[in-house]
Amino acid sequence: MTGDDPGPLIRLYGLTGGRARPAGESFDLVAIVTAVVTAAGAPAEPAGLVPEHLAALALCRRPTPVADVAAYLGLPLNVTRVLLGDLRREGLVTIDRPRPAAQTIDEGIYREVLHGLRRL
Amino acid sequence: MDYAGSEPASAAVADPAMAIKILVAGGFGVGKTTMVGTISEIRPLHTEEVLSERGVGVDDVSGVEAKTTTTVALDFGRITIREGLWLYLFGTPGQDRFWFMWDELAQGALGAVVLADTRRLQDCFPAVDYFEQLGLPFVVAVNCFDGARRHDPVTVRRALGLDGVAPILLCDVRERDSVKEVLTSLVTYSVGGAFPAG
Ligand SMILES: Nc1nc2c(ncn2[C@@H]2O[C@H](COP(=O)(O)OP(=O)(O)OP(=O)(O)O)[C@@H](O)[C@H]2O)c(=O)[nH]1
Ligand SMILES: [Mg+2]
Repeated sequence: MTGDDPGPLIRLYGLTGGRARPAGESFDLVAIVTAVVTAAGAPAEPAGLVPEHLAALALCRRPTPVADVAAYLGLPLNVTRVLLGDLRREGLVTIDRPRPAAQTIDEGIYREVLHGLRRL
Repeated sequence: MDYAGSEPASAAVADPAMAIKILVAGGFGVGKTTMVGTISEIRPLHTEEVLSERGVGVDDVSGVEAKTTTTVALDFGRITIREGLWLYLFGTPGQDRFWFMWDELAQGALGAVVLADTRRLQDCFPAVDYFEQLGLPFVVAVNCFDGARRHDPVTVRRALGLDGVAPILLCDVRERDSVKEVLTSLVTYSVGGAFPAG
């Protein structure tokens, strides 16, 4: 995961099985990913998950944007997206449908963003 | 005010987590990465993305995909407004052959900052054209490199053939306050029109 990894490209290729696109419906680079927890608790983790899957899953117990998962794992966005697509296919996470900013930013969000930026 | 945030008990329902995308575009070496780094609270992530070229073997899982992929450098940074509300800045690849990456980045974005360098203003034309065609709101931020002639915004507007609506600002992408001003202008321009001033 770091720069001194002997074969980063080969390693990444292995992580995704050479896939550049995630399984299932496409999702945005900033879509919110949330680990599935039901009354019965988290679903059982199927075999075949790599440590990166598990790390992403743990992180997404809190709703987390795809880009943040990538930053946390230190992996490219597209590789991260493939891994998250796997987790979704296994029913372990939900991923938001894309929603255009113009439709989701109401007045409250707008003012929060402006104030937030000014106070930085 | 009647914000969702005023009702903590139902906040989780009324206020789902949301991440807002802003693109930072412009010509080669104009200061995109610097801008993202100046304002991001995380060390900007510089990633080498492996892409499937558009229209070529996108769904091909037969193992020959390596032949149809390419890599592109992308950087992004984050600003947390509060828990559950984030802004993400994406520095977009400049080369024309990566337009398809732009298509995806621009989808659902709040808007874009087009960085311009007055010494080679024409470098930002493709980005301006692209966002105009897409109908994505953008502001033009003229990065005032030391020693560069200081064009005034009126001259830049004329040179870019802008219709007089998109804001044009002078900025220094190394200065936090300057980048903040660019972003607040974009947010106001992009979505503020729908709401009363304040
Ligand atoms: N003097 C001065 N140098 C700057 C300014 N902004 C950026 N630079 C320098 O210009 C160079 C290019 O800046 P970057 O932020 O890497 O530009 P970029 O648009 O990301 O470049 P590419 O990704 O290669 O297209 C870097 O060496 C910066 O340090 C500025 O306002 N003034
Ligand atoms: Mg750069």
